[in-house]
Amino acid sequence: MIRKGMGLLALLVLAGSATGASAQTMSYAQAGALIAKSCGADIEKHCAQVNVGSGQLYACLSAKPGQVSAQCAADYGKVEASIAKRAAAQIDAFTICKNDAREYCKGVVPGDANLLDCLVTASKVVSRACTQVLTDAGWR
Amino acid sequence: MSLPVRFARSAVLAALLAASAPALAQTDLSNAQIVQGLQGVAQNAPTVTAAVLRQMAQQSIAKNRGIPQARPDFVAALDKLAQITVQIQFQLNSAIIRPESYETLGSIADALHNPILLGYKFLVVGNTDATGTREYNLKLSQERADAIAQALVTTFRVPAGQVEAVGLGQEALQDPTHPDAAVNRRVQIYNIGGYVRPQ
Repeated sequence: MIRKGMGLLALLVLAGSATGASAQTMSYAQAGALIAKSCGADIEKHCAQVNVGSGQLYACLSAKPGQVSAQCAADYGKVEASIAKRAAAQIDAFTICKNDAREYCKGVVPGDANLLDCLVTASKVVSRACTQVLTDAGWR
Repeated sequence: MSLPVRFARSAVLAALLAASAPALAQTDLSNAQIVQGLQGVAQNAPTVTAAVLRQMAQQSIAKNRGIPQARPDFVAALDKLAQITVQIQFQLNSAIIRPESYETLGSIADALHNPILLGYKFLVVGNTDATGTREYNLKLSQERADAIAQALVTTFRVPAGQVEAVGLGQEALQDPTHPDAAVNRRVQIYNIGGYVRPQ
């Protein structure tokens, strides 16, 4: 019984990460809007004295599983996953795109924006990994 | 989708980059407007820090018991900086940000994550109207500015070193002739110069 339950959970996690891999990350504005839309009522009702920052809101809502709407739980999960992915991509981008930058953006004046601009402009030739990480980072 | 197209849509970003006159008081700035407003460091821009402003606001209260009749000198330095003005909804007498403003917070975060703004540092300034005591307003606005900065650097993943927060209470009224007007209750974000990301 327990085994079966765990299997289902693992499957759900796998399904979730598979979707996450192909889906585009959402913007921070979209993330904020989605939390407000799907969780606004639950927040006002169950976590009115909790601020959104530092994971406090997520922790508060998570601590009330039976009371928070399924839509809120699902969408907040999506938001957390998307934000984590975008944040990781922003950190990884410069490493993953290093070779492409060296090859295609030689004369670029130092500066993150210039380099990223070059990599995006040269997207026809830069590696798929670099293009993907820039997409996930929200930079193209 | 190319980078320039994305930037064209980013009005918030734009606002954060260009040194402009204060009081762009729209509530819904696009990403491009924010970026535009916050872009660029003004020539000979004064050095501004949260700590210095906090001290000046406290001095302003200590010195003068009346409502300031004009924008005080110490905020003149701010007027020269690239900036945007946004409205964030809080619970009454509280630093709890209402869900309806999460999207606005996200828009600001999108702008600060834009490559154009990666190399800059930003100051979040909270302001109240003149209802209530000046000391209370100073304290509340600091707590609110802190809440915004905290949301930006945690929930919305802006690097912690890139954001400072200060509350000025009612010491920098937007409209001193109407001290209780809604226009005074605002959050301003200023580009205060270069930021080097830790490697």
